[in-house]
Amino acid sequence: MSTDPVLAVDDVAVHFAARGGLLAPKGPPVRAVDGVTLAIAPGETLGLVGESGCGKSTLSNAVVGLVKPTRGSIKVAGQEVVGADPDALRAIRRNVQMIFQDPALSLNPRMTIGESVGEPLRVRGIASGAALRERVATLLTSVGLRPEHAARYPHQFSGGQRQRVVIARALGLEPALVVCDEPVSALDVSVRAQILNLLVDLQRRMGVAYLFVSHDLAVVRHICDRVAVMYLGRLVEVAPRDTLFGAPKHPYTLALMSAVPEPDPVRQRTRQRIVLQGDLPSPSRVPTGCAFHTRCPRATALCAQERPALTPRDDGALVACHHA
Amino acid sequence: MQGRTGLWRRAPVTVIVVALILAAIAVVALLAPWISPADPARQTLIARLRPPGHTTSTMTYWLGTDELGRDLLSRIVWGARASLLVALLSVTVSLTVGTLLGMLAAWKRGWVEIAIMRFVDIMLSIPAILLAVLTVAVLGPGFGKLILVLGLTRWPRYTRVAYAQTLQVASLPYIKAAELGGAGTLRILFRHVLPNIAGPLTVVATAEFGLMILFEAGLSFLGLGIQPPQPSWGSIMSAGRQYVERAWWITLFPGACLFLLVLSVNVLGDWLRDRLDPRSRTR
Repeated sequence: MSTDPVLAVDDVAVHFAARGGLLAPKGPPVRAVDGVTLAIAPGETLGLVGESGCGKSTLSNAVVGLVKPTRGSIKVAGQEVVGADPDALRAIRRNVQMIFQDPALSLNPRMTIGESVGEPLRVRGIASGAALRERVATLLTSVGLRPEHAARYPHQFSGGQRQRVVIARALGLEPALVVCDEPVSALDVSVRAQILNLLVDLQRRMGVAYLFVSHDLAVVRHICDRVAVMYLGRLVEVAPRDTLFGAPKHPYTLALMSAVPEPDPVRQRTRQRIVLQGDLPSPSRVPTGCAFHTRCPRATALCAQERPALTPRDDGALVACHHA
Repeated sequence: MQGRTGLWRRAPVTVIVVALILAAIAVVALLAPWISPADPARQTLIARLRPPGHTTSTMTYWLGTDELGRDLLSRIVWGARASLLVALLSVTVSLTVGTLLGMLAAWKRGWVEIAIMRFVDIMLSIPAILLAVLTVAVLGPGFGKLILVLGLTRWPRYTRVAYAQTLQVASLPYIKAAELGGAGTLRILFRHVLPNIAGPLTVVATAEFGLMILFEAGLSFLGLGIQPPQPSWGSIMSAGRQYVERAWWITLFPGACLFLLVLSVNVLGDWLRDRLDPRSRTR
């Protein structure tokens, strides 16, 4: 990549201290994110996939500075997020905003959507009065709403419309990066495509980069340039979209792919399903060696001892597996 | 928003009735010097404990007289002043103090939370009336001190509610979004948190409003509240309690007024809470 990345995550770990009881000894820390390195180029969309509890939401919260990493470095547009004081963090957040999963909870029910969308601009002294109203109207128009909607309250909108409002608020500061934390998983299937297309459309117009967190592979395939697969706080595979979906390599990625329903019933019947054994281990007791070895169909003795590093493959994929 | 004409649009009849009762009590309290038929402190010892409607050569005692021959109607009219003012001011003080501390505890967490919430536990474990008696005993009685005492002993209930509600609201994405947008702590607390925890606090405040009047009555009864001969509903009732089998009217009429007032405040409070929520404004 020739240009500087808008997001550079370097060996980030987020451990949460386990609470000890009055007499009980303190348990091991929960290693929600345990050594993740990734980068996003300007205007790029990186998908972050993995099952519930794998640490993808923790990582995205760390990127916007809502969670403090235990170690590592996170740079947004060259500015260090880890250890930034409140003033610095406030400045950094001009460049990184977030879209949340549930639009019903992302907007203050007691504020009109005009107030919500205009707040970042107002509190930062970017616009006020008539200029602010104009900016809000432009933003609402750009996400497919009407300027007169500004006077309404969130409850007067549908889920899809609310998510448009949330997107308008996130883009108001013209950030270089927007973290999308499962932005369509709470929406009706019928409006998902609309919101995804809106995100793509805005990216083309504004050049914003997305860190797109999702557990829905179909959605990720639709929108992302590159995809990172996460398991128990670590990346197991990072690859360009077509490479990942065309030739998945890590056994965990393969298992994820095989879990996606096949629309063709004939192929659905004939294809092989990889069903993982057992549950996701507790992130407070991450298995030794490769974290996936307890559930991996291809695991050997080596996997239990030595943690595989992310290594580049011929087709540009990065895979952390001894056998793939 | 279409066609919203005002706060009172589509208010149910009960709410209108209740609002009128409150307005009437407030007007009576305000105009006490002009509408009161007699001096509430003037004693006519030969006309003690006379029943309602008793007429002498000088005046008619519409609600009877008390144990010192004072006109009960005049005392209730003047008592409305004291009772309303004490309740209003003490609720305002405790609501403000309690809410601020509760929000602070939930927002700051850590040792601030521990200090405030454990202090609340301590306060709640001491009987409020005992605490009030103790404070008055140290500071001495008086109207201003009464407000202070009631306000500063009753705040923990608001703190608990504000604390729990703030904890819940603070974890919601829209608070995170405000933080990411660059809103400062004060703005987040007062523009985002407070409006969204106001509902439950209103309910507590309306319940406390009635309690404050009763507390004032209790303190006045102990001689620590409103000082005689100045009347308050509570002190009239407490004084009339020992004559209740001979002169039921002394306790019944101020009691009925108190009942109406507290009921009205509660009904109106419930309705206001729903009304002030934008989600219920348009359908």
